[in-house]
Amino acid sequence: MMAVNLENATKAYGSQRALDSLTLGLPEGQVTGILGPNGAGKSTLFKAIIGLVKLDAGSVRVLDGSPSWKTNGQISYLSDQCRWYGSHTVRQAIDYAAAVFPHFDQERARELAEFMRLKNDAIVRTLSRGEEARLKLIICLARDVRLMLLDEPFSGIDLVSREKIIQGLIESFAERKQTIIISTHEIREAESLFDQVAFIDQGQVVLAGEVEALRQEKGSLESIYRGLFQ
Amino acid sequence: MEEVNTGDLTFTLDLSKPLWGQVLHQIRGAVARSDLQPGDKIPSLRDLAQQLKINPNTVMRAYQELERDGLTETRRGQGTFITSSQQKISDVKKLLAGEAAKEFMLAMKTLGVSKKDACTLLEEAKWS
Repeated sequence: MMAVNLENATKAYGSQRALDSLTLGLPEGQVTGILGPNGAGKSTLFKAIIGLVKLDAGSVRVLDGSPSWKTNGQISYLSDQCRWYGSHTVRQAIDYAAAVFPHFDQERARELAEFMRLKNDAIVRTLSRGEEARLKLIICLARDVRLMLLDEPFSGIDLVSREKIIQGLIESFAERKQTIIISTHEIREAESLFDQVAFIDQGQVVLAGEVEALRQEKGSLESIYRGLFQ
Repeated sequence: MEEVNTGDLTFTLDLSKPLWGQVLHQIRGAVARSDLQPGDKIPSLRDLAQQLKINPNTVMRAYQELERDGLTETRRGQGTFITSSQQKISDVKKLLAGEAAKEFMLAMKTLGVSKKDACTLLEEAKWS
C-alpha cells in the first residue's frame, strides 16, 4: 500500500522547474528518506502533498484521496516556516498545539519532551536552535495521524539535538508504525533510519529503492549520494 | 564504523552493508562465543533500535531470522531469550565455523596457496 503516489508531478516557478515530471510512490508504515541537494525540489514535493502547491501537470494521491483539508487532518507537517509563540513555555506550546491540531496526544507530547530532554518550563524565545527543533518535532510526533512529513528536521542544529531528534523518531516509530517521510541533505546521521529512499535532483527522482537492498548493491547511502551529486 | 555496547553485546555496524544481516550475524556470534548464554534475555526490539540508532524494522528483520533459526524464543509479555537447546547452539557454531573456514579458503586462494599447503599451514599454526 502506498501512502503517497506522485505521477509525472510537474511544478514550475517561472522558467525554473521545481518538480519535473516526478513519479514516486511512498509506502505506508515505512520511513522514507527524500535525499538531495538544496533546491532539488524536496520542499516543493512536500507542499504538493499537502496541497500548498498546485501542480501544473501530473497528479498526487495522498492517503487514497487528493490533497484536501480532509487528508491534511491525517498529516503532520514539519517545515522550517513554523514558529511557536515566543512568550510561551514549552508546556504552554504543547497545550496550544493540543488546542489547534486534530488528533493531538498531549500525554505523548509530554513523554516525548521528557525523552528528548526538553524542559517543560523553558521559554520558547530562549530555546537554542536545536531545542526549538526538538520542540517542533515533539509537536509533530505527538499527533496520532497516518502520515508525517518532516522537511529538513536536522538542518543547522547541534549534534546533541540531532541525536535527540533521531532517538525521538525511533521511539515514536517503534510505538506506532506511522508513515514517515523525511527530507534531508545530512545523510550520515539519518541513513540508518530509513526503510526506503529516493534521491532527488532538479525536480526528478534519480534513484529510489529499498535501503538495505541499495546497501547490498552499492554501499552506504552517503557514498551513493556522493556518487550521484559530486 | 562505530562500536556500540549494549550490556553483554557489542555491535559494530558498517553502513555500506545491509544492517539487518550485521545485527543477525553479531548476535549469532555472541551466542557461539558464549557471550550470550542459553536462557539469557536479549534487548527488546525498541531498546536495541534505540541503542544502535537504527530503524526498528531493521532490528525486527534480524530478530525474526533468529526466531526462525530457533536460536531465540519469545515469551509473551516477558521478552526474547536465547534458546536453551544445546543442539541449536551447536548448529550456529557450526554455521559460523563453516563461514570462517570459507573466508580462510578464499584468502588462501587469492594468495595462490594450494589446498595442500593451506592445510599444512593450519597444521603448523599454534592453536594455544
